[in-house]
Amino acid sequence: METKKVKNIFTEGPVEATFIADSIAKHATKTSIGGHSIFLGQVRADMIDDKQVDAIEYTSHVDLALETMSKIREDIFAKYALTCMHVHHSLGVIKAGEICLFVFTSSKHRKVAIDACTECVERIKAELPVWGKEIFEGEGYQWKINK
Amino acid sequence: MIEVMFFGQLTDSTGVSSVMVEEVANTDMLIDMMKMRYPSLASSKYMVAVNNTMVTENTIITPGSKVAFMPPFSGG
Repeated sequence: METKKVKNIFTEGPVEATFIADSIAKHATKTSIGGHSIFLGQVRADMIDDKQVDAIEYTSHVDLALETMSKIREDIFAKYALTCMHVHHSLGVIKAGEICLFVFTSSKHRKVAIDACTECVERIKAELPVWGKEIFEGEGYQWKINK
Repeated sequence: MIEVMFFGQLTDSTGVSSVMVEEVANTDMLIDMMKMRYPSLASSKYMVAVNNTMVTENTIITPGSKVAFMPPFSGG
């Protein structure tokens, strides 16, 4: 069953725009879908005390993260009538402007897809054991804090 | 042996990402042991997972277990 399987969500490096486009194209055969919702997280070049964030380096407790994601997936499928849901999170160094998180939900109708996508993103940020290290231009870093 | 893993900013506090320790009975004893070894852990915020299960109360650690010390998450 799609909702029970532990799927890998991690990709080394950024999520490429071509990968996202291909992922959308693959859904053309699923003609029961009436609405997709996509969230893309992009690395922001924040200025912190005159230093600019050049990139974020992501690390994770991968085994625990995949188990947690599997539980989140199960909960979301139980709550929302989704046709499918895809999650991709980057690991390693992701430069400012690159995509580090891709959440893609599809359903018969838009509201379900949008609400499920929002809930999934919020839960990923709150519950997945992933850490971001904000690397400054030149030298130095600070650990990212999720608000 | 037990594998103790540190993540995120805790790797700065301890200087290591993982360390092997002799058998320890439970998580309270392991936490005390780690605070002795890495004093800056005492002032750090973290959660503990034993073999991929988050624990909030003192938990028995069986030999061969993996215990993770994890600071607040900041993914996405």
